[in-house]
Amino acid sequence: MRSFRSRGLPRAALWVGAGLVLLATPNARAADSEVERLRKELGQTQQELSDTKQKLDDLGQRVDSLQNAPPAPATAAPMETTAQPGPATARLAPVNVDNPAISFVVDTAFAHDARNSWGSIGYPNGADFALKTGELFISAPIDPFLRGYAAINGTSEEGFDIEEAALITTALPWNFTVKGGRFHADVGRLPHWHDEALPFSDRPPSIDRLIGGESGSEGVEVSWLAPIEHYIELTGGVYDTIGAERLGDLNDNGFFGRRDFSELTVLGHPHTYFDLTDTLNLELGGTWFGVPQNSQRNVYGADVTLRHQPGTSGVYQGFVLGSEWYWNRERFTERDTTGLVIDRTRLNRQGGYGYFEAFFDRRFSGGARFDYSESPDGVPDLARTGSVFLTWMPSEFQRLRLQFDNTWGDQPTNQRYTIQWTAFLGSHSHGFAQR
Amino acid sequence: MASLSASLRFVLVAISFTLLGGQPAYAKLRVVAALPDVADITRQIGGDRISVETIAEGTQDPHKVPVKPSFVTKLNRADALVVQGLGLEHAFIPALLEAARNDRIMPGAVAYIDASLYVKPLEVPSSQNRTQGELHPLGNPHFNLDPEQGKLMARAIAEGLERVDPAGAANYRDGLARFTALLDRKIAEWQKLAAPLRGLKVVSYHQDLIYLANRYGMQLVGTIEVKPGIPATPGHLEELLSTMQREKVKVIIREIAYDPGLARSLAERTGARVAEISSLAGGLGSKGYIDSIEADLRALVAAAQGTSAG
Repeated sequence: MRSFRSRGLPRAALWVGAGLVLLATPNARAADSEVERLRKELGQTQQELSDTKQKLDDLGQRVDSLQNAPPAPATAAPMETTAQPGPATARLAPVNVDNPAISFVVDTAFAHDARNSWGSIGYPNGADFALKTGELFISAPIDPFLRGYAAINGTSEEGFDIEEAALITTALPWNFTVKGGRFHADVGRLPHWHDEALPFSDRPPSIDRLIGGESGSEGVEVSWLAPIEHYIELTGGVYDTIGAERLGDLNDNGFFGRRDFSELTVLGHPHTYFDLTDTLNLELGGTWFGVPQNSQRNVYGADVTLRHQPGTSGVYQGFVLGSEWYWNRERFTERDTTGLVIDRTRLNRQGGYGYFEAFFDRRFSGGARFDYSESPDGVPDLARTGSVFLTWMPSEFQRLRLQFDNTWGDQPTNQRYTIQWTAFLGSHSHGFAQR
Repeated sequence: MASLSASLRFVLVAISFTLLGGQPAYAKLRVVAALPDVADITRQIGGDRISVETIAEGTQDPHKVPVKPSFVTKLNRADALVVQGLGLEHAFIPALLEAARNDRIMPGAVAYIDASLYVKPLEVPSSQNRTQGELHPLGNPHFNLDPEQGKLMARAIAEGLERVDPAGAANYRDGLARFTALLDRKIAEWQKLAAPLRGLKVVSYHQDLIYLANRYGMQLVGTIEVKPGIPATPGHLEELLSTMQREKVKVIIREIAYDPGLARSLAERTGARVAEISSLAGGLGSKGYIDSIEADLRALVAAAQGTSAG
């Protein structure tokens, strides 16, 4: 029985299998046909894709070959379109030689002083809006050997004035540069900066009092860059006087004209720089200026600036730690009502500031400053000022700053609150000197 | 007396050596390159005949390179200056040149070598208006990210070196041929490598990817910056978020010089991946221009495929 069954089962299976095959054959034929159709479609699509890729490659090669084509001959008019190969050595922005770079700065502020004190350093009582600076700045090369610039400045208090109008040589040998005209003499670091470039809403009181505002001057200045790897720059100059307010005083007193050579102001300013690490650097400077006749005036100064300037995504972060100190030794002549000299007093006064500014990101920075100042003449009128400031820059060309100053010393303590709003119209840059 | 004379000679030699900067009389052509891409290409073309110093580092934003006095002394003593051009170095080169007192390397002078000379600029603004942000008047200057433009940069640099140092013409032509051949081989490889980028919709931090996107078929949907050089505002980011969701943007490209926070925050809110690339050579630890392009492409492909860059 077992053998029968074992023989009978395969036979039945064969019959069933044959039946299934017969039943399945039309479906299998249909599937083969579908596979064949899909294969053909795939082949056609692959061919189309290959043709398209070939076309893309051909187009790419044509674009590349056009881009690699030789430049247009020099006789072509290269300035007409930026899409053509440029002039012989450089692709430069089209500039009309008759039109210098022009910019205008609007530097406006609202300030409130709590107490009627420290008027001597510009702290009046109450609140006011002020145009701190409206500066028209013009600069251009004059010829291959000279460039020039002018800063015409207006404020709420003083009206319009030519703050600077100077000529600078560009091609003297031996790394010399000569500057002449009316300009900010190369004193320390911040004294020669324009108001709108300062990291604070005001000029530090010590600079204001001892130097006389910015280091405005009329004269001639020679600077020399040492032709070595290490940065050393030496500046020397001769001027009518140094200090914008001092210059005004001189002019008011009829000193437009001639004076003895020994009554001119002479300056020397060595300046150097060290890369301490890739991101940390140090600048050091020393300044002396004075009037030789009878040692009428001698000002000694020192400045130090430490900067942390990181790379990569922290490029907008970092900090600046800066300080300057000045010693002013000056002889003051006092006269009686008839004009007779009754006294010559030599006064030694000093002052300076130190500040820290941290750059949090691309928009925000903030810091603190301490300033110590004495009046250069009369009683010392000692003032100490502690300040904090926060700056917000919506873009590179606009800035909003809040500053709080607390001033104490020989006069009643005063608090000042300032909101400063500054904007730059056009191509405004004071370049390397006010970096 | 003899020892005094010897001491005097020693002092004079020391002073002379210092004033000459310690350089031998047969010094190589001293080239300063503004940015690392042109520095590397210049090195490869010039070989041993030149020495190249670079001002900016690959990790930096070329629009925000600090103006350091140590760069002034490099430029003061340079025989040639190589810039990428189209105004990319506007934040630091003009100020440095003003202080460098070297009229041989002033714009337009023989030794001012502009690598953009043969590049066809894209995104040339039709009007010069700051409501459009910090525009480059001559066009988008980030052409170095497209390797085909690299060949044009190399050509302008080689011609510039030859102009400054005609005696080395054969050397520079050989260097150019070698570099171009190498770059051609890599371009063929990169065409395959970058295939997944075709049609990829991306958002970048800064408007600096047009040349790269055109080369490899990426679609630029927006930037994290409001306009070139104008930092993002909350309103702009909300708008960008909606655009990314509507356009189904899968990759945010952060150029490493820029803040990672905003890119990450956008990625978290949209589910997109962040690809970190460097718009300058050396930024991702790469050794030079060619390595840098490859590193950028690998980072982009990895982000497109949701894998890590290898």
